[in-house]
Amino acid sequence: MPEADAIRLAQQGDAPAFERLYQLHSRRVYSLCLRMVGNTAEAEDLTQEAFLQLFRKISTFRGESAFSTWLHRLSVNVVLMRLRKKSAAETSLEEVTEPDEESGGPRRDFGAPDLRLSGSIDRLNLQRAVDQLPPGYKSVFVLHDVQGYEHNEIAEIMGCSIGNSKSQLHKARMRLRELLHEALRDKAREERKAAGTNLGAED
Amino acid sequence: MATIHCKDFPEYLEPWMEGDRHPDALAHIRDCPRCRGLADDLKMIQASAREWGRAESDPPAHLWNSLRAQLVQEGLIHQESERRAWLPGWFSALPRPAIAGAYLAAVIAVAFGLSGPVNQRINKARWLEGTQNSTTPLRAQFASAVMNATPPSVPDSNPTVTASLHNNLAIVDNYIALCEKSVNEEPENELARDYLFEAYQQKADLLAQMSERGGYGR
Amino acid sequence: MSTTHIIFGTWNRKAVGLLAIGFLLSGSPASAHRIEKHFTVEPRAVITIHNPNGKIIVKAWTKHEVMVIANHVSDKVEVAAEQTGNRVDLRTQQLTDIVAPDDLRADYDVSVPEDAELQIHDDSGEVSVANVLGDMNVETVAAGVALEDAAGYLTVKTVGGSFQCVRCAGRLEVSSISGSFRLLDLRSYHVRAQTSTGSILFDGEFLPNGIYRLKNYSGVIEVRFSPGDSFDLNATSLKGTVNNEAKLTPPAHPQRFSSKFGYALGTFNAGRAKVELTSFDGTINIRKRN
Repeated sequence: MPEADAIRLAQQGDAPAFERLYQLHSRRVYSLCLRMVGNTAEAEDLTQEAFLQLFRKISTFRGESAFSTWLHRLSVNVVLMRLRKKSAAETSLEEVTEPDEESGGPRRDFGAPDLRLSGSIDRLNLQRAVDQLPPGYKSVFVLHDVQGYEHNEIAEIMGCSIGNSKSQLHKARMRLRELLHEALRDKAREERKAAGTNLGAED
Repeated sequence: MATIHCKDFPEYLEPWMEGDRHPDALAHIRDCPRCRGLADDLKMIQASAREWGRAESDPPAHLWNSLRAQLVQEGLIHQESERRAWLPGWFSALPRPAIAGAYLAAVIAVAFGLSGPVNQRINKARWLEGTQNSTTPLRAQFASAVMNATPPSVPDSNPTVTASLHNNLAIVDNYIALCEKSVNEEPENELARDYLFEAYQQKADLLAQMSERGGYGR
Repeated sequence: MSTTHIIFGTWNRKAVGLLAIGFLLSGSPASAHRIEKHFTVEPRAVITIHNPNGKIIVKAWTKHEVMVIANHVSDKVEVAAEQTGNRVDLRTQQLTDIVAPDDLRADYDVSVPEDAELQIHDDSGEVSVANVLGDMNVETVAAGVALEDAAGYLTVKTVGGSFQCVRCAGRLEVSSISGSFRLLDLRSYHVRAQTSTGSILFDGEFLPNGIYRLKNYSGVIEVRFSPGDSFDLNATSLKGTVNNEAKLTPPAHPQRFSSKFGYALGTFNAGRAKVELTSFDGTINIRKRN
């Protein structure tokens, strides 16, 4: 069933149409949620909530934007609301304009010159680093670099300007670089510690 | 070309990542391993993220069942959906060009087979293109379907609403007539065609609304 | 005390008394039926209201609760209020097939959490929403709609009802056939307003990278700007006129139409927002604020 027909029928409560829309979009929505929250249980919960909101509001869909954009906007909002509930302070995309150290924004210097992110970045480390980003940075980074949305699409999904989306993305990448460097330094430190312990044991 | 320093480089970095290679930044990065390292790191983060993005995960199978149960409980899904027949005779009698959606909307409005709102969006760009390529037959058929539709009778339980619907239908009919005249005079005028398209859409929406009123006691 | 004064004074007291009684009676129909219900909800609750005729007033409050007060006179309709999960449905239902117009009327006063999402259908009467920040969809035939301090994704559709939006943010899409629109003190980043024969007044902010599309067939479109605003303007009236007070920089825009169209094309200041004004044969005014 083509998407346009499924939307039309879903607006009349047709069960197979709902299922078709779910089949077409659940993978992308679930992947987005999983990348944003980092655990499967919560991602499942958020995916269900996003689709519930979608189906409750489907009669209001007028087709002025692409259905997938509309759905992903809903999904991002669902995730952001959850992340905001969890974080100590409310952060929104607009609020994170001049972040300071506490909010996890990039420092003015550009990271340790002595270590470079060499080779490819381990996916697990990247996920861990992304998890530490403030919600606004995280959303834009996941939508743009991971999911492949363009800035004009992100602007529509997030309800911000294109300029804002670009600037948040840059800040997110800079912050990720710092976090990944920290992870590399921690790993190097542990390896040195383990090597020292082994040497001691051999002695 | 101005010489930039390491402290200036971050200003160039954001557009750099968008593909804008400023000559000053290019010159600096050639000679500065620190800034080159910074740019390389950001590119690596971008590439790793893209790689990560390629691997999408399927949600577990039980998620749909759980969702479906919730939708049934909220009454959003009908257990046995009734597919309304939109007078397939009409539809099959009409030709099916690429803009079949345009006809569908007209037929839906004309056939009054709906008890739900008309939300079908016509593929506007394709319609405009279609009318430019072979204007008269396509537009004439669409126009005929919408213009010849007899407005449904609206129960007079609310005269304000009835009067508003009929008055606005007259406004739209007048609007269509003026737009058609304009398009006939200047067939290449895209804006006039745009207005005409929207006028047909408005009429289809209005007819659908009028047909809904019959069941208003909801 | 003169006779005139005494007579007038006496008349005056009686008149005041009668006026007071009349005022009390005319304020709203005598409410034979009143319901009040409370529903506890989670964040982002969805509230739907379907009403054929009457006033719908929705206001935000700080409680995680939806409170509904509904009044109707006739026995031939009833107000149904139900909650399913995080969704509250309010509906005026006809109890008999034939109901006189006045009997159809029900008035709603609804208090909702500020992040609630609203879906409202009111054929005739009036809809007013204040301080609600969730998405909303409002559809009417003849009822006027007034939104104040709303945010989110706002879609409004009327057939003939007018629309006013004051101090709203987020994204706004409004359409009508003959309704007129007043968009005042807006802070929206995306506005799309379309009416056939109504007029449109836009007196709000042009946010950087915002998109503002106002369109009608006939009537007046008026936008007001300040010297500090920044927008790229494309104003066209196919058969009418465009009166422009903004000093535009001649752009690299190709001239699409012949000079018999009314138009104004160009950039004001840095051109950060995008403003498109289109009319078939109406008048477009781009006026500087005083």
